[in-house]
Amino acid sequence: MSATVNKALLGITPIALFIALWQSLISFGYAPVTLLPPPGAVFLRLGQQLFTSDFLHEIAATLFRLFAGFAIAVVLGVVIGLAAAISPAINAVVKPVVRVLAPIPKVALYPALLLILGFDHASKITLVAADALFPILLSTYYGASMVEQKLIWSAMAAGTPRAQILFKVVLPAAMPSILTGCRIGLVISCIVVFLAEMITSTDGLGHMLVQAARTFQTVDMFVPLITISMLGLILNSLLHGLRTYLLRGFPEV
Amino acid sequence: MKVVTLRSDALAESEPLSGKPASAMIHIDRVSQRFQTSGRQSHLALSDISLTIDDGAFVSILGPSGCGKSTLLYIVGGFVSPSDGVARVKGKAITGPGPDRGPVFQEFALFPWKNVLGNVMYGLRQQGVKHSEAEAKSRKLLEMVGLKGYENFYPKELSGGMKQRVAIARTLAYNPAVLLMDEPFGALDAHTRTRLQNDLLNIWERDRKTVLFVTHSVEEAVFLSDKVVVMTRSPGRIKVVVDIDLPRPRKRAELLLDARYQKYVVDIEKLIDDTGEDEIHA
Repeated sequence: MSATVNKALLGITPIALFIALWQSLISFGYAPVTLLPPPGAVFLRLGQQLFTSDFLHEIAATLFRLFAGFAIAVVLGVVIGLAAAISPAINAVVKPVVRVLAPIPKVALYPALLLILGFDHASKITLVAADALFPILLSTYYGASMVEQKLIWSAMAAGTPRAQILFKVVLPAAMPSILTGCRIGLVISCIVVFLAEMITSTDGLGHMLVQAARTFQTVDMFVPLITISMLGLILNSLLHGLRTYLLRGFPEV
Repeated sequence: MKVVTLRSDALAESEPLSGKPASAMIHIDRVSQRFQTSGRQSHLALSDISLTIDDGAFVSILGPSGCGKSTLLYIVGGFVSPSDGVARVKGKAITGPGPDRGPVFQEFALFPWKNVLGNVMYGLRQQGVKHSEAEAKSRKLLEMVGLKGYENFYPKELSGGMKQRVAIARTLAYNPAVLLMDEPFGALDAHTRTRLQNDLLNIWERDRKTVLFVTHSVEEAVFLSDKVVVMTRSPGRIKVVVDIDLPRPRKRAELLLDARYQKYVVDIEKLIDDTGEDEIHA
């Protein structure tokens, strides 16, 4: 038990140091309070706002876009990744497309998305999905391509028809890679949804930050920032829990 | 008494085994296997292999690494199709894997997402056996291989020897007519290896399935088999088929002191050494 406690303490230490550094910048006069609010003030404001309906509405808007975009990315990434791994023909089509599209900063597509899909959810969800897609697709593809041949042979000898090998062997065997891709995709989703809301939005945490910055409400500026990082932490630990459950039979990775 | 029967590999026709009517379970007919290597090169892994394996026979394939012995096993398994020739099981040409031929691999190849019971039940469920029935049968099999109490463990929680016991139970579960064992004990320590050899023989004595067993251990091949097929390398060819005329059931402690056993081991080791010379001349 004490090992877990130690691990948790070790994990908290850098965060505590970071907050201490933030506080000391103000305490020792490197940054004026008007420009950089002290952490205590930010957390206090967060605590005050947390259960107001306005603030919850902003969080809900952000979370909805984040989940919708991430879910689309997971479905498309896993389906395309598996298809490319099992079919050389599909791989021949997918590979060049991925190579061309993956390095593009997706946020550069955002102005175009806004024009096509409008200012509401659709453009932001699309941007999140586009950014989260590639890590999920690529890790699914590599995971599914590297499934041990003898697992497939064992299943086929046991009477599994070729058509069912994908779902009975390849998908479960590739699960560790798929979930690693999902983890990266989730972090990217958090970043991108916030970014999209900062650029153009009428609600959401990113919008809150921009509004506060424009009116020099420095405390309010830091509240959404802390909120998205805490949301990211919570979502990541939920995914970690799911991963631990799904991969309970796999050797530690 | 003839101790070692050496025969030409051209037509290794089988004789009836004592106490069992002779009927061919596996018939390998002039099988060759060529692999494409980088460039336009190709490598002849197996050259013109003909071999008949009787129903109920325990046959080992022995040879240096790279002689294509595993490839031959994969061809019988239907995992790989030969470049030339045909392999038959019960008279029917092999076109793919099937539950009449159950593989056991050196790497165990257990499904990591299933627990021990789930792994053993897999084949039965694929054969359409009801869940409760499959579970009962699998539990019985696990007891037989000495893993009672480990049903809910995951493969990663087991030692190598235990994993291989699970893999054997998983394959026995769907009752294949032929067991295809690809260096099954190669990754195990000497002690575990010996125990599994003994247990495998005990299991085999019960229902006398046909076994095709690939190994590079001469002692293992002689201890287990009715026939030992000695192969050469580059290209893989059958050098000789040695009939192992030792009484069954075999007890390891008695066999190790048996002069006939020792002579088989020494003779076959010599044959393999000659094989090495062939390779240098080639």
